[in-house]
Amino acid sequence: MIPIEFFLAFAAILFAIGAYGVMTKNNTIIVLMCVELMLNAANINFVAFSAFTGDAMGQVFVIMTITVAAAEVAVGIAILLNAYKLKKATEVDGLASMRW
Amino acid sequence: MFIEYTWLIPVIPLLCFLIVGFLGNKTPQGGGYIAITGAAIATVLAVLVSCEFWTSAAYSDVGYVTQQITWFTLPGGFTLHFGYYIDSLACLTMLFASFIAMLIFVYSLGYMHDEGVRKRRYFGEVSLFLTGMLGLAVSSNFLEMFIFWEIMGLCSYLLIGFWSFNHPDGDAASENAASAAKKAFLVTRLGDVCLMAGLFVLLFAFKTLDYADMFTEEALAAVDPNMIILGSLLIFGGVIGKSAQFPLLDWLPDAMAGPTTVSALIHAATMVKAGVYLTARCFPLFTQCSWILLWVAIIGGVTAFFAATMALNNMNIKKVLAYSTLSQLGYMFLALGAGGYMIALGLEQGNEALIVAGSAGYTAGLLHMVNHAFFKALLFLGSGSVIHSCGTEDMRKMGGLGKKMKITSITMLIGSLSISGFPFFAGFWSKDLIIESVMHASDFGEQTLFLILWFLAIVTAFMTAFYMFRMWFMTFQGVEGVNAHHTHGESPKSMVVPLCILSIFAAGLGFVILFGFDNLISIGENAAGNLQVGSGEGKGFEYITEIFGNVYTWMTIVLVLMAMGIAYLMYSKKTMNPGKFNKNGESRLYHALTMRWWFPQLYDQIAWKLGYGVARGVDFVDKNIIDGTVNGISNAVIGGGEILSKAQTGNVRSYTTVVFGGVVVFFCVILGIFWYMGGL
Repeated sequence: MIPIEFFLAFAAILFAIGAYGVMTKNNTIIVLMCVELMLNAANINFVAFSAFTGDAMGQVFVIMTITVAAAEVAVGIAILLNAYKLKKATEVDGLASMRW
Repeated sequence: MFIEYTWLIPVIPLLCFLIVGFLGNKTPQGGGYIAITGAAIATVLAVLVSCEFWTSAAYSDVGYVTQQITWFTLPGGFTLHFGYYIDSLACLTMLFASFIAMLIFVYSLGYMHDEGVRKRRYFGEVSLFLTGMLGLAVSSNFLEMFIFWEIMGLCSYLLIGFWSFNHPDGDAASENAASAAKKAFLVTRLGDVCLMAGLFVLLFAFKTLDYADMFTEEALAAVDPNMIILGSLLIFGGVIGKSAQFPLLDWLPDAMAGPTTVSALIHAATMVKAGVYLTARCFPLFTQCSWILLWVAIIGGVTAFFAATMALNNMNIKKVLAYSTLSQLGYMFLALGAGGYMIALGLEQGNEALIVAGSAGYTAGLLHMVNHAFFKALLFLGSGSVIHSCGTEDMRKMGGLGKKMKITSITMLIGSLSISGFPFFAGFWSKDLIIESVMHASDFGEQTLFLILWFLAIVTAFMTAFYMFRMWFMTFQGVEGVNAHHTHGESPKSMVVPLCILSIFAAGLGFVILFGFDNLISIGENAAGNLQVGSGEGKGFEYITEIFGNVYTWMTIVLVLMAMGIAYLMYSKKTMNPGKFNKNGESRLYHALTMRWWFPQLYDQIAWKLGYGVARGVDFVDKNIIDGTVNGISNAVIGGGEILSKAQTGNVRSYTTVVFGGVVVFFCVILGIFWYMGGL
């Protein structure tokens, strides 16, 4: 059986990649994808702990998370589309009008 | 029978005030007749109540009758009442106050004839003034007394400033009236603050302010003597302000800016008499400690002397009378102080004879209050008649008016004889009794002090005779002055008749002490052992032997006659030149007197230096500390907001970085706490 540390390390790496992407990338689509990466890193942790403790609750949570994530992506992409229509920009730097 | 209706006595003038105030101009004389009717009803009621009180045996044992309703209760067991308290002192005060006020109101019909629509204001305010004095006389406790006391302060302000809008002599006179009114109000305020503080002290010491409950031996014995001393001194501070005693004496001469009738009202019937009344009322308190009364006597003696000196060279007929009022008030306080001193010593030593001796001083003080009310009203109304007739207050422009104004000149002569203490006129009896009680007090401790006060009193008697006759001769005798040529002659009937009535009293009132009056206003221990007005024993005809068997009385009479003679030679025959004594007005003393011993300057200096300094200090604190705190906080918030708003770059990536950084820091802190608590 694969030890749980492998799963946790894998999830941590995945989360770090996602965070790095959110912090550095300029393209809003990529930022959105990176957010999804971080979400799935958390999902992997849920599943891993669920399997190791024999408690099904974690897997139920993952299904809930995936559902919410689907809705979130739909809303997120709709916002980006509207932002593009208004500002003609898909870059994060171009959407900085809410500032002092 | 009538005593139950005592409450009507102040209420009727109050009603007149409301009626005249609202409807005055719809009635003839601007409501003058209504005011007179009100004062007349009050006089009749006062006479009925006093007659019943003095003749009924039911009240004579305790010496007072009181009835009151609960006004309000304070937490801590303080109950404050509203009601009346009738004793001889209250009867005496309301009798002379209402009667003289009535005569002054009648006189005002003639004197204020040209005022037109402003008569409404005048008659309304004088009615309220009378309410104040009558209410003060019959009130049953200190708080009620204080309310009426303040009503009088307000009315004196309004009436002294009656011409502050539209003075017949022009704008400068208007301004003068306005500043005199302000001065009267502010200076008496200083005393009133003291009085109020005194009332608080007494309320906390006695748990009540009712005369009937406070002035009993048990109540006085149960209270900390220091509280009584403190309360008494503070109350006397109020008296000093109201009765214009040293050092708060300067407002009264300035108050001459008002109409002469108002001066008569303030000096004779109301206002300044309230101070004497309060001192006499508080005797059970004051006599708990002898040096309080000593203080009263010193203030009285010093005021009597200083005020008399300032009258010596004044050229304004009303100012001379104003200073004489101050001086006579000083006499009253001197008598009350000397008499009270003996009573206090008598109470301390349990010496009955000393209390009886002190009672003579008390009687003398109160008798002088009544006598002074009559002759000062007479003199002021007489001077008003003169001013009305020749249109100036400067005595140098009068002169020789005796032929043109016979009745005024004769009644004024009677008033002058009375105030100077010419034998058998009213002022003679009370003044000699005062001087005698001061002499008597010197036999019991503090000998030097009382001898000095006695000497001041004798010198003041001399000066009084001199300046009163100087005034009379300058006005009515000698060469006709500038304004005397075109006088209107004698004043109208409404002015002359009150003068005649007053002159009868000013001449003959002194005889009442021989016929039992002194019993009523003496002070002594009543059946319950409490100090009570009207419970002492008067001497009646013994006063004749006492006064005339005394060498000092003859000395005083000779001094008075001398002073009258000097005044005659200086100002009527003109064989003696007054300029010789003051280097024609160049001498330093003359200058000091003209400058009123620099009292106004002293007030101004204190007001400017102290008042302005304090105001600047307060201003500094307000601007820099209070405002500074508020402004500092708001500046800090604004500045902090500006700096923090720079963080809002609108850059999503930097926001994210901050969020992640925050999470990391938070995680590290939690780990650190775990490690510190030994959880790891």
